[in-house]
Amino acid sequence: MVDNDVILDVRSISKHFGALKAVDKVTFQVRRGEIVGLIGPNGAGKTTITNLVTGDLRKTEGEVYFKGTNVSKMQPFQIARIGLTRTYQVVKPLQGMTVEENVLVGSLFGRSHRENDLNHAKKNARKIMKLVGLDKKKDSKVSDITLPDLKRMEFARVLAMDPEVVFLDEVMAGLNPSEVEESMEMVKVIRKDKQLTIVYIEHIMKAVMGISDRIIVLHHGQKICEGSPQEVCDNPAVIEAYLGRRYAKEVMNNK
Amino acid sequence: MEQNNKKFNINIVFIIAAIVVFILLPNFVSGYYIRIFTAIFMYATIAQCINLMSGYMGYLPFGHVMFFGIGAYITAILMGRGLPFILAMPLAALSAIVVSIILGFPVLRLRGHYFAIATIGMNGAIMSVAQNATEITGGAMGTTYPIILLPPGQVYNYFYLAFFGLMVITALIMYFIVNSKFGYGIRSIKANEEAANSMGINTTYTKVSAWAISALFTSIAGGLYGYWMSFISPDEVFDLMFVTNSIIMMLIGGAGTILGPIAGAFIIESVSEFAWSGFMEYHLAVLGIATIMIVFFVPGGVIGTITNRIKNRRIALNKKAEVTNG
Repeated sequence: MVDNDVILDVRSISKHFGALKAVDKVTFQVRRGEIVGLIGPNGAGKTTITNLVTGDLRKTEGEVYFKGTNVSKMQPFQIARIGLTRTYQVVKPLQGMTVEENVLVGSLFGRSHRENDLNHAKKNARKIMKLVGLDKKKDSKVSDITLPDLKRMEFARVLAMDPEVVFLDEVMAGLNPSEVEESMEMVKVIRKDKQLTIVYIEHIMKAVMGISDRIIVLHHGQKICEGSPQEVCDNPAVIEAYLGRRYAKEVMNNK
Repeated sequence: MEQNNKKFNINIVFIIAAIVVFILLPNFVSGYYIRIFTAIFMYATIAQCINLMSGYMGYLPFGHVMFFGIGAYITAILMGRGLPFILAMPLAALSAIVVSIILGFPVLRLRGHYFAIATIGMNGAIMSVAQNATEITGGAMGTTYPIILLPPGQVYNYFYLAFFGLMVITALIMYFIVNSKFGYGIRSIKANEEAANSMGINTTYTKVSAWAISALFTSIAGGLYGYWMSFISPDEVFDLMFVTNSIIMMLIGGAGTILGPIAGAFIIESVSEFAWSGFMEYHLAVLGIATIMIVFFVPGGVIGTITNRIKNRRIALNKKAEVTNG
């Protein structure tokens, strides 16, 4: 791979909360068009890394380069406008607005933030709601829709921003197996359609393994392994820290 | 679509008719009612400004009266130096905007109660400047405006029209703001500030701009009020009651709607006029109880509740149509 292909370059970032090293010198790169899975036990620092990269949290040290630009000191809205965005693990809908308005805000202020024409933005929002299967719910208030739909909406909102790299933070948490299946399909289709680069944070192993080109494993704020899904499953440190022996065996047998 | 246009036209016809009625009204009613209406228009303007900050953006600016006072005082000071009102007023409004921007950057980092309390503190600080800079402001004794050499009745009619115009213009501008891209930014901040920021909204810029806009119209109301009263003192124009009243009006009329503050101003001023004449000492208690009842039982306010009903009915009708068609 040529270095040009690296769209996101995370260089030795750390976040310390007092004595706790939530993220400790983590370095990784994401290449254009790939899906990178980010896994690890609870408290490993997955969401913290997302917060550091998108500017929601201040880094203790380290730097983040996006498309060759140093975005370490930028605010979240500036980072969002150049095409790096995220969904939230705990959904953050814009309360009091309809589903359509939520997506519309993404469409108005995202990467194409020069979009000043409301009608044009509305059209774009409708198109994206159709893509994720929300068109029937467009006039519902966000307080009236179910969790899977909220997660869809978060995804739609992010898509409406027309990003290049998206951090999907547990978009499947709380979904039942058939909804997970659906969601996986959706992510695959949309990734192709929009040529997205995705960093995928998930606990549902089936989903991560099935979707990722490459997986990064975190434990106690440190990167303990990086490689293809197969390599990760074979890695003894990962099995010890996260997967467990039985699961690793199961995956091996299935392959 | 066509139906929407029709509805829109009917609304416009109603609004224009109301405007014409209010412009002609001074010819038909006594000075007492003119005074009440003038106060209603003034409160509606301030309530509209607070509505932008609180109803739409979620930041309750309790000390917002500071801009009212700044508008009144700077207009008075400049007119005292010989400037005509038409020049003094815009300069006062400009200074209010400058103050709002300077204060906005630090204060709008705070949220909720902290923001409300900080603005009260700032109002206190500015008020004490007005009280103590005696050479410029006349100190705690207050200051006067040049006397208008016209018959009082005519003067009151002019102020009636000026405040009416201010209220209409403020409402119109707020309408365009909240329905614009900027307005979506403002509403997103109320809905969820972190999410708004991560969606590409420059929240600091949006918050400070919204505050500057509401400071602008509040300060114009202040300048007009001072000229109308022809005498102002610090504890009068920096009185938090202006804001408290406006907040109650906004809540009762419907926070987060454009007609809400106007409806609220009409309701509260009429009730308070009635309560005032009925039982002098208890009128604040009546207002207080009414407010609590409204917040508990009709949290959307009058206008909010009505529009919600209409919206729900439309959705229900659409659903019915879908069922029968499909």
